[in-house]
Amino acid sequence: MRGFLLRRVLLALATLWLASSLVFAALLLLPGDPVQAILGLEASPAAREALERALGLDRPPWERYADWLARTLRFDLGESIRYGKPVGELLGERLPLTLGLVLLGLGGALLLALPLALLALRFPLWDLALSGLMAFLQSVPTFFLGVVLLYALAVHLPLLPASGFPGFGEPREALRHLLLPALTLALSRAAILFRMARGSLLEVMGQDYIRTARAKGVPEAWVLVKHALKPASLPLITLLGLEGGFLLTGAVVVEVVFALPGMGSLALTALEARDYPLLQGLVLVMAALIVLFNLLVDLLYGLLDPRVAYA
Amino acid sequence: MGKRWILTLLLAFAPALAQTRGGELKVAVLAEPPVLDPSASTSQEIPRMLYDNVLQGLVKFNEKGEIVPALAERWQGSPSSLTWTFYLRRGVRFHNGAPFTAEDVVFKFNRARDPKSGHTHPEYYQDIQSVEAKDPYTVVFRLRQPNQDFLFNLARPDSVIGPKGRVEEQKTQPIGTGPFRFVAWERGVGVRLERFEGYYEPGLPYLDRVFFRFLPDANAQLAALRAGDIQVIGLGVSPENALVLQRDPNFKVVTGFTTTEITVGMNNSRPPFNDLRVRRAMEYAVDKKALVEGVMLGFGTPIGSHRSPGESCYEDLSGYYPYDPARARALLQEAGYGPNNPLRFTFTLAAPYPYERRLGEAIAAQLAQIGVQARLEVVEWATWLSRVFRGADYQMTIIGHSEPNDIGIYANPGYYFRYDSPRFRALYAQYLRTPDPKRACELMREMQRLLAQDAVNVWVMNAPYIAAMRREVMGWWPNQPTPSLNVTRVYLGR
Repeated sequence: MRGFLLRRVLLALATLWLASSLVFAALLLLPGDPVQAILGLEASPAAREALERALGLDRPPWERYADWLARTLRFDLGESIRYGKPVGELLGERLPLTLGLVLLGLGGALLLALPLALLALRFPLWDLALSGLMAFLQSVPTFFLGVVLLYALAVHLPLLPASGFPGFGEPREALRHLLLPALTLALSRAAILFRMARGSLLEVMGQDYIRTARAKGVPEAWVLVKHALKPASLPLITLLGLEGGFLLTGAVVVEVVFALPGMGSLALTALEARDYPLLQGLVLVMAALIVLFNLLVDLLYGLLDPRVAYA
Repeated sequence: MGKRWILTLLLAFAPALAQTRGGELKVAVLAEPPVLDPSASTSQEIPRMLYDNVLQGLVKFNEKGEIVPALAERWQGSPSSLTWTFYLRRGVRFHNGAPFTAEDVVFKFNRARDPKSGHTHPEYYQDIQSVEAKDPYTVVFRLRQPNQDFLFNLARPDSVIGPKGRVEEQKTQPIGTGPFRFVAWERGVGVRLERFEGYYEPGLPYLDRVFFRFLPDANAQLAALRAGDIQVIGLGVSPENALVLQRDPNFKVVTGFTTTEITVGMNNSRPPFNDLRVRRAMEYAVDKKALVEGVMLGFGTPIGSHRSPGESCYEDLSGYYPYDPARARALLQEAGYGPNNPLRFTFTLAAPYPYERRLGEAIAAQLAQIGVQARLEVVEWATWLSRVFRGADYQMTIIGHSEPNDIGIYANPGYYFRYDSPRFRALYAQYLRTPDPKRACELMREMQRLLAQDAVNVWVMNAPYIAAMRREVMGWWPNQPTPSLNVTRVYLGR
């Protein structure tokens, strides 16, 4: 187990270094620069030069890169060019919201998908209707779904706030603000989870031990929940890990529709402003989280499947 | 003296009018600025929230675009226009409690005229030879040569004055002398302002708090307005949404002029647009009326040169090239293009500007009708800035030029249109240097005519200003003579 963890940690560090260095290189290749993004359209060359000097952008790229690396090794992510604020602080403001949104959204998706998949398997008549509904949800663009829910539940039936996020300082309000975006996310991600759950349940239901359980006279519903669910949930967990990683920035559409200051919109702003310290910091944190998710998935595998052992 | 007495009387009775004090106003704006100091970035999002509301200069624009007193009570130019004396308002305090004096003015303009200081637009101030405090409430500017735009430039957002010595902090924590004081900038969320109790105009402002929220998505704005999360969409309401809100008794739509010329930019130094005949063909082929009616649903005003109808010395040239596809075809044929050899070029659109994008698509369709093949290419903003704006590596593009009084860009041959005209440069120099305002106005009109003659660009329309708000929001500026959502006199009725 210890050897496994050590290997994973080393691999993770290599991944982090590679990902953030690639971002630095990619930003050098893109047209546009942060000074232009700050000063705007009509900035004079003199003003450009002054700001370039102030930001240290007049130094050669490898020097800036070495600087960044040295700072990062001391756990200092530097200062955002666009916002003039420490990157760590900016991430600290955005991360809780995004994590909350992703957890609520994926949790909701799972709560929706699993029971429905079980239902679909138990009652073949429902299967067609549910599969159709899920195919529909999957094909509706997220922004459209978001706007429909927004009008339904915030404008016409004013149950929930329409947009914005007050921060976790007021947990009740924060939850109320997250509910609509999380529901949007849940509905749009439920479809793929449903199909995966349904598929793997079907596969498990064909196994010999299920036949044995049925032969013992175990009721069908119990066969599903007790004997099929656990083994069938393995691919689901892999998928959840992947989705979680993707949604850290992939929820940007939902963030825009509900005006949530999350990681996705921060990444977009950083990219538009060519704010390389911020983007590198974001990628670093994001990569770390994805590595963490993958590790959690692997460990969960060990818990759920007695055949998996880590050595 | 008499005027002041009347003003005092009016102010004394002000409470008897319908204005109500108090309340919070939440206003949606489209984008987040990079910093909050107009002298550190030319982003229009900064003055939109802060001009006059928080930050003020010696003089300012009122809602008609006239230059009126702000921190200077009055001023006087010498007959030669080389010496300008400003008499400052007394008893003014900054939001941090420090008194506002001539020292702050001297510090500001010494920084502004130093090209190495990083101040935006040092060219606005380069004719200032010296700026001196004669006493704590009198400032004297001496100019190297007369500059017709001197006062105008002092009214611009770039010329707002902060406390002496405060530069870096102004970028994120602006301190000014306006009716509202800056409270917080929540990154990615919005900017919060609060009533400044020490404001020098008694009774103002009416509101207690203002929250400018960054809401880039049109659907999110509309939903937030309908749900009551915000009371105002401050700008950029889409024409469709404006029509819908106009019909709803709970809301009203406020529209007026801006100083934005939506401009189809042509690279005058490169084929095919280095040929005057081709540029003129473009002018005849674009049906501006159809664009206003069809694309903008009636919002916007056709123009014919680089100046907006709300600005002084405006010359209406919108009919200079009437819509005439036959003439456009003939001009193209003369230039060597025809059915067998159609004119082909790339038309670069900048992604973040919705009015311009949809206009660009419609213009490409209009050009197709005379057999021109414009290949549309949508690029992201930073790419547009570096490739088109800075590198002039493009053929045709479309963008709104929002700065007021900006015809001077055509005197710069390096500007991205690459318009190189000694005659225009001579006219512009004469305009700047003449001490006679009437002559200056004549020259301004002549410059507009010359640009139209040379068909430098296709000036499509003056972009409309479209804001939407709840019915009870009163006192909103209908026009944008400078980008400013001025909330000084805004109040919540009933």
